[in-house]
Amino acid sequence: MRTALAVELLKMRRSPVVAVATATLSLLMPALAAGFMAAYTAGGDSLMTAKVSTLVTGSAWSDYLGLMGQLLSVGVLLSVGVVVCWVFGREYSDGTIGSLFALPVSRARIAWAKGLLVLGWGLAASVLAAIVAVPIGLTLGLDGPAGLGDIARAVAMAVSVAVLTTLLALPLALVASAGRGYLPGVGVLLGIVALTQIVTLLGAGAWFPWAAPGLWSGMGGPELASSVTAVQLALPVGVGALGLWATAAWWKRAEVV
Amino acid sequence: MADMIQLAAASTRTATLEARGLSRAFGKTTAVDGVDIQIVPGEIHALVGLNGAGKTTLMRLLLGMVHADAGTAVVHGHEVATCTPDDWARVGHLIEAPFAYPELTVTENIVAAARLHLLGRADAELAARQAVTALALTQWAGRRARVLSLGNRQRLGLACALVHRPSVLVLDEPTNGLDPRGVLVVRKALRDAAERDAAVLVSSHHLDEVARIAHRITVMHRGVVIGHLDPGGVDVERRFFDMVYAAEPELPEGVQ
Repeated sequence: MRTALAVELLKMRRSPVVAVATATLSLLMPALAAGFMAAYTAGGDSLMTAKVSTLVTGSAWSDYLGLMGQLLSVGVLLSVGVVVCWVFGREYSDGTIGSLFALPVSRARIAWAKGLLVLGWGLAASVLAAIVAVPIGLTLGLDGPAGLGDIARAVAMAVSVAVLTTLLALPLALVASAGRGYLPGVGVLLGIVALTQIVTLLGAGAWFPWAAPGLWSGMGGPELASSVTAVQLALPVGVGALGLWATAAWWKRAEVV
Repeated sequence: MADMIQLAAASTRTATLEARGLSRAFGKTTAVDGVDIQIVPGEIHALVGLNGAGKTTLMRLLLGMVHADAGTAVVHGHEVATCTPDDWARVGHLIEAPFAYPELTVTENIVAAARLHLLGRADAELAARQAVTALALTQWAGRRARVLSLGNRQRLGLACALVHRPSVLVLDEPTNGLDPRGVLVVRKALRDAAERDAAVLVSSHHLDEVARIAHRITVMHRGVVIGHLDPGGVDVERRFFDMVYAAEPELPEGVQ
């Protein structure tokens, strides 16, 4: 497993796709949250302020970091989803999958290594986003001197939302593999984003795993956020584990053609 | 003469790569039909045939890349489905697309291939340096694979197939895209592999090239083995087409 992890880590480190996704998560997400908070605290009757008012109800640190958690629930699904599709689908798009046969390191092990590295990268990028958000927040003039405990809780919430969402992106590995390229995975990713909106509107709420982290982060308002249960938040763990296991099983059995 | 002595010695040895009645169809098209073939240590065994003869599918069957409908592929004495990591650690191959990740440098690709064959980091780096030299890739060692020409990508793929000094080597059209100097480099690499007792299976359209390096030549047509050619004989091309005509008199226009 160590060999598979080392080789796959090298590919990810050199990948422009991963570099762009890391920048999107760790820089763009905090910047967007800060921009939205600035629009909220500026007040007035602009369209932007009106829209942001549906996402935040105050201008404290917990509101700012909570807003970033909401943004991460969408941003992580898109960014990690694209990375998952690329990491698995590129072996088919680039034609390198044949090189992964007839090796002492099994393809199932390589698939697990890819999935675990994406999970680790998603966690690292989310933590980085939370760290970057703190100094940006200091420039916003947020209400009151925030206690360390408040910030820590809000950061933990944002990172938890990001990790849960990362897990929800893992089944795309199976789509990209069975579809023999990253584009089928990206297509399904966009479908999941749209379906999540529809299912949420229809009232399925957090029982739809892809909606749970967003609702928990407050995207549907404080009332819906507090109604999300631990079981519903555990669903993404099952979805991620099942997706990765199914992908590894597929890689073990699938032919090169 | 040395080749003949080597082949005579090799013919008495146990095959390290073997197809026993291998068959595979894709839909209604039979790609490989009951093929038997053995490659022994120290032997360069060439597969020749027209496009669609089944050469690549046979190689894929031998490496477990596709599953057989019937028959058995044997590597290092084990059926391909039961091969151990130790068996696969001693196999090198290049089937169609080379091991060439565009974002990695030439050296990084070769080190990655070596590590996937269970060489430790230091050994992999040393072996990669030797492979870079052997395949005349020194000038491009630090360049990313995405900027390589077709021929240099092919040589990179060969370096990745050879870096761990495999005892079974399976190469599909290894001289594809290579200039004359590249062909010489590959010829030497294959001979070196056979001299250190590797069993080498290679497919090619270049009959003259095959005749220069192979100890045995097997001719495939429409998924079946239709005969063998003596690499030392005269006019290999004419004998090849005689064999193919006999198997199928109605060849497409332009072939006859």
